Amino acid sequence: MQHTPIATGNASAPPMSVAPLRPALLARYAGLEELRYDYPLVLTESMDGQHLFRPLSRIIDNVLRATATPGPAGEALRQQVLRLEMRIRHAVAEGQEGRLSDLWRELSADLIRQSGEAPFGPLDTNLDTARRALKVDGLVIGCDAGTPGKVLTHAWEAVHAERARRFRKRVDGLILRLSDILKSDFMKSDEAHGPKALESAMGAHRDGSVDFGALSAVLARARPEDRIPNDRVERIRKVLAVLKCQPFYAPGRASHFCANRRETYSYTFDSCSAALDALRERLPDVLDFTKALTIAELEVENKYRAELHDPIFEQFDESDLTSDQMGLLPSSLVFLRDGVTDPTEITRAFEALASQLPITILIQTDDILGATSPEPPRASLAAGTARLAAMAMGLNNAFVLQSASAHLYRMRDRLVGGLHFDGPALFSIYSGATATAPGIPAYILSAAATESRAFPSFTYDPTAGPDWARRFDLSDNPQNDVDWPQHDLAFEDAIGQRQSESVAFTFADFAVCDQRYARFCHSQTRVEWTTTMVPVCDWLKETGAAEYLHKPYVCGVDPDDRMVRIVVDDKITEAARRCNDAWRRLQELAGINNSHALKLLADERKARESAARTAEPPAPSMVPVADVQAPTPVVASTAIDGPEVTPDKTSDDGPWIETARCTTCNECTQISKSLFAYNENMQAYVADPDGGTYRQLVEAAESCQVSIIHPGKPRNPQEPNLDDLIERAEAFN
Amino acid sequence: MTASMSQCLMQMVQTDYQMSDYQSEIAPRWCAGCGDNAILTAMQRLCRDEQLPPEKTVCVSGIGCSSRLPHYMNAYGFHGIHGRALPIAEGIKIRRPDLNVFVTTGDGDNCSIGAAHWLHAIRYNMNLTVLLHDNQVYGLTKKQASPTSPKGLKSNTTPYGAALNPLNPLSVTLGVANVSFVAQAVDWIPDLLYEILRKAHQHRGLSFVRVLQRCPEFMGHRFDDWVRDPMKMRILTHSDGLRLKPEVSRVYKNQETHDPLDMPRALAIASMQEEIPVGILYNDPSVPCYDDLRAGERPNTPALVKTVLDEEFDKVGIWPDSADPAGSTE
Repeated sequence: MQHTPIATGNASAPPMSVAPLRPALLARYAGLEELRYDYPLVLTESMDGQHLFRPLSRIIDNVLRATATPGPAGEALRQQVLRLEMRIRHAVAEGQEGRLSDLWRELSADLIRQSGEAPFGPLDTNLDTARRALKVDGLVIGCDAGTPGKVLTHAWEAVHAERARRFRKRVDGLILRLSDILKSDFMKSDEAHGPKALESAMGAHRDGSVDFGALSAVLARARPEDRIPNDRVERIRKVLAVLKCQPFYAPGRASHFCANRRETYSYTFDSCSAALDALRERLPDVLDFTKALTIAELEVENKYRAELHDPIFEQFDESDLTSDQMGLLPSSLVFLRDGVTDPTEITRAFEALASQLPITILIQTDDILGATSPEPPRASLAAGTARLAAMAMGLNNAFVLQSASAHLYRMRDRLVGGLHFDGPALFSIYSGATATAPGIPAYILSAAATESRAFPSFTYDPTAGPDWARRFDLSDNPQNDVDWPQHDLAFEDAIGQRQSESVAFTFADFAVCDQRYARFCHSQTRVEWTTTMVPVCDWLKETGAAEYLHKPYVCGVDPDDRMVRIVVDDKITEAARRCNDAWRRLQELAGINNSHALKLLADERKARESAARTAEPPAPSMVPVADVQAPTPVVASTAIDGPEVTPDKTSDDGPWIETARCTTCNECTQISKSLFAYNENMQAYVADPDGGTYRQLVEAAESCQVSIIHPGKPRNPQEPNLDDLIERAEAFN
Repeated sequence: MTASMSQCLMQMVQTDYQMSDYQSEIAPRWCAGCGDNAILTAMQRLCRDEQLPPEKTVCVSGIGCSSRLPHYMNAYGFHGIHGRALPIAEGIKIRRPDLNVFVTTGDGDNCSIGAAHWLHAIRYNMNLTVLLHDNQVYGLTKKQASPTSPKGLKSNTTPYGAALNPLNPLSVTLGVANVSFVAQAVDWIPDLLYEILRKAHQHRGLSFVRVLQRCPEFMGHRFDDWVRDPMKMRILTHSDGLRLKPEVSRVYKNQETHDPLDMPRALAIASMQEEIPVGILYNDPSVPCYDDLRAGERPNTPALVKTVLDEEFDKVGIWPDSADPAGSTE
C-alpha cells in the first residue's frame, strides 16, 4: 500500500478556499450560467400531471419556435429572448426566486432600460411578442440545497390535487344520489303535500291569490307503503353526514353545510414519527368514512340488506381496509434531511416503508462522502446515506427512487409514478449542496455524483411486474453497462496542439472535489509526471505487485485551468473500490453482467465445446424444430352445419307449436287458455292437447299471425264436423 | 385489480328476477295478433337475462300504439308527449347515468312529429336503446298514413292512396353524423329480435333498432309475403355482430356476412326493396357519447349549485357599506 506523499513543493500547502483542484472533465463547465442546461426549473402551475416541472430553456425554446420566424427579424427576436433568458439564469443563480411571469417582467424592463431603447421600441415589442407566447407560468428555481424539497413538494401537491378531484367526484356523486333518495322519499310525505310546503315552493312573491290549504286538500294523500322504511332513512342520513363532513380533503369549490365540520387534515410532516402518529390518530375517522362510503355505494345501488350487511359493518376494522379504499385518501409527505433530522427517525422511516401505509418519504442528502476521521462526526441518518435507497429496496413493498438533483428532470415520469404509488414510497435525493466542496455549483456536484456512480439514479417499482427486469430500472445512468463512464477530454499540449484523450470519470474524480479529501490528494504538474502513474480506473483493475509499483491519479485542472495529475491515496481508492462494488451489485440487479447468467452461459459454452469434441458432426439442431403439424384452426363452423335439433314435434301426430317463432300475440291464448300457454320466455306451446277442442286448434292455427301452430290429427273422433276441420287443418300440418 | 369491497358486498345480494317481475299489473291492451307483443316479450326477456333491476330501468315513450309499452313493463316509465320521447330520455340519462333507459317510439311518433329530435338524438349519441316500432300506419287513431306508409296505401287521410314514397328510417339514421348503432329486426322472428335487442343494449351509445311490426287490424297482410317465405328475409351475420342459432339458421338460409363497420354496404342493405334485411347494419363503438363528454368534473350537488349561483350573483351584487361580502358568501 502506498502512503508516502509525493515529494513536491506544495504538498503541505494549506487547502485553497476558492476554486480548488477540480477533475479535468469538469473544466468545461466553469461558467455554468452561460450554459443552457436543465436548471433553472419552472414548477409549472397547470396541474395536468404531464409537465409538473420543465427546464426554463425548454420553455424558451417553445416560445421561440412559436414566435421567431426565419429571417433577420426573427433572428433579432431570438437573440433578444435568449439574452433575457440569460438574465433570468443569472438572477436565479444569484439566489433570486419568483414566478416566471414576474421575473420576465422585471428583467425585461431592466434589459430595455440598459439598452437605452424607448418603451414600445423594437426590443420591448419583441419581448412582448414572446411573452404572449409564454403558455406556462410558475416558480423558477435554481439548483441548490432547497431544490429536492421544492420539486417533490410541488409534485406531491399536484398529485394530491388530482386525488382530491377524483375523491370529490366519487363522494359528491354519492352525496347527490343519496340526497335524491331522501328527497324523493320526502316528496311522497304528507309534509311535502301540506300547505306550508306548497306555500314555500311558490317563492317570496305571495299575493294571497292561492289558497294553499285548499290546494293541499286536493292533492293525493301519502301512502305509507310508498315511503322508505325508517331504518333506511336513518342509515342514509348518517352516511350523508359522514360523507359531507369528511376531514380528509377541503370541500373545494362547494361549501358543504355541515354543523360539526372539522378542520381539514394536513398531510405534510417533517418527521416519520409525527406522520405515523397522525395516521394512527386519524384511523377511527378513516374507518368511519370508509364504512360510510361502502354503505353509500350499496345504498345507491339498492343493494343494502340489513340482515346481511349490518353484522359486517359492525365488525369492520382496519384489517378490512382495502388498497382501493386507501388509494382514495391522501398520502402523507414526510421530509427528512440528512444532518438536520434526528438520526433516530431513520428507524421510524423504515417502519413506515415496511408498512402498507400511503406515506411518501423524501430523504435529502447534502453530503454523501461522509466525514473523514479527524473531523467531528455529524448527526447523520445512517452510516451510508448513499445506500438508504438500496436498503429500502430490500423491504420489497415500497417504491424507491434514488436520484441526484441534476437528474430530477430526466427522472420526472418515474418521480410522478412514485407519487401515484398506493403504498409507501422513498425518494432519496442528493442535492449537491455539499458545504465542503466550495467553488463547485450544486448542479455540477450532483451530476458528478451520478456520473461517478457515487449516487446512481435508479427506481424500484413493486407494481411494475413480477420480476426484477420490470421492477428495477438503472437506465438513467450514463453508460450503465460499464464500471465508469468514459468521456473525451480535449486539451492543448505543451506545444499548443489540440490533443484528445479518453478519460474515465471515477469515484476518485468525485472525491477530489471535496475539500476534506484534499489531504489524500497530491497535485503533480506536468514536469513531475512519471511513467509509474496510471489512471485510477486502470489502477483499480490491477492486482499484486503492480498495485504497489503504480500510483493512481485523476486528471485534474488547477485554478488556472492547467492540467495536473492528482495522485490519490488509498483512502480514496478504497472508497472507490467500495463504490464500484456497490455499482456492480446494482448492475447485476438490472441484468447487466449478471453473475448467474454469466455462469450459466459459461457452463453452456463448456458443455457445447465438449459435445462438439465427442460427437463428430454436431447435432443439426439443438432446438427441436416444431415438426408437429400446425393444428387446424378451429373455425366456428357456420351454424348451418350445426347438429340437427329435433323439432318439438310429437311423434303421434298431436298438435304442436314452433315455440321459438312465437311472437306472443295472444291470438291462441285468447282462443283457449287451457290448450295454449306461455313458457318462461313468454312464447306459446301446447300445454294440454286435450284441454280444448280440435276446432279451437284449427281456428288458432288459422288466426296465428306467423302460422306456427300445427293442429295435427284430431284426438277425439266424436267431435262434430271433423271432416271439414281436418280439411282446414291440412294447410297447417 | 381486485374488486372493491362494495362490489363484494353487492355480490352477497343475489337477485333472481323472473319474467313476471317485469310484467306490470295491467295486461297489454294491444289488439290480438299485434307485433308489439313480441317486442314487449323480447324486452322483458332481455331484462331478465341481464338481471336489470326494475328500479334501475326506465322505458320512455311518446304517443301511439307502441308508446303504450311503458305501462306494461314493471319498471319506471314515462309516457311522454307526441314525438318527444327522445329528449325526455336524454334528460333522464344525463342526470341518472346509472339507469338503463329504453325508448319505445313508433313510425308516426318518431319519423313525423318527432323527426327533429330523432336526428339530434343520433348526433348526441347518448347511451340509450331506441326501439322504433314501425307498422307503417297510425294505428291508435284507426288508420292514417304515416311517413313510412307504402306509396298507394289507402287510409283515412289518403283515400285515393298515399302519394309519396315512404321515408326509410334506416337510411336516414345512417346518414346522420355520429351514428353508432343501427339494426333492423322483425317481430315475427322473435329469436333474432331478442338477439338484436341484446346487442343494442350492450352497445355503448345510442342504439337505434327499427322493428318491422305487423298491424293485423289496419295493415292486414302487409308483411305476409315475408312472413311466409323465409328466403325473402336477408339475415346479416358477422363475428362482431349477430350469430345464428342452428334452428334459426336452418329456416333462414338467405344469409349475408356483413361487417358492421362497412357503411357503404350498410346503406345498400338499408335500401333493399325485395328482401327485408334483419341484423346489425352498422356498429361503431368508437363514437364518443355526449353523456361521457359532458360528464362534469364534479357532480352538481345542491351545495355546489348553491355555491356557483352565489358566486355568479355576487359578481353583480352591490353591497351596502355596512355589509361584508366575504362573510355572506361563506
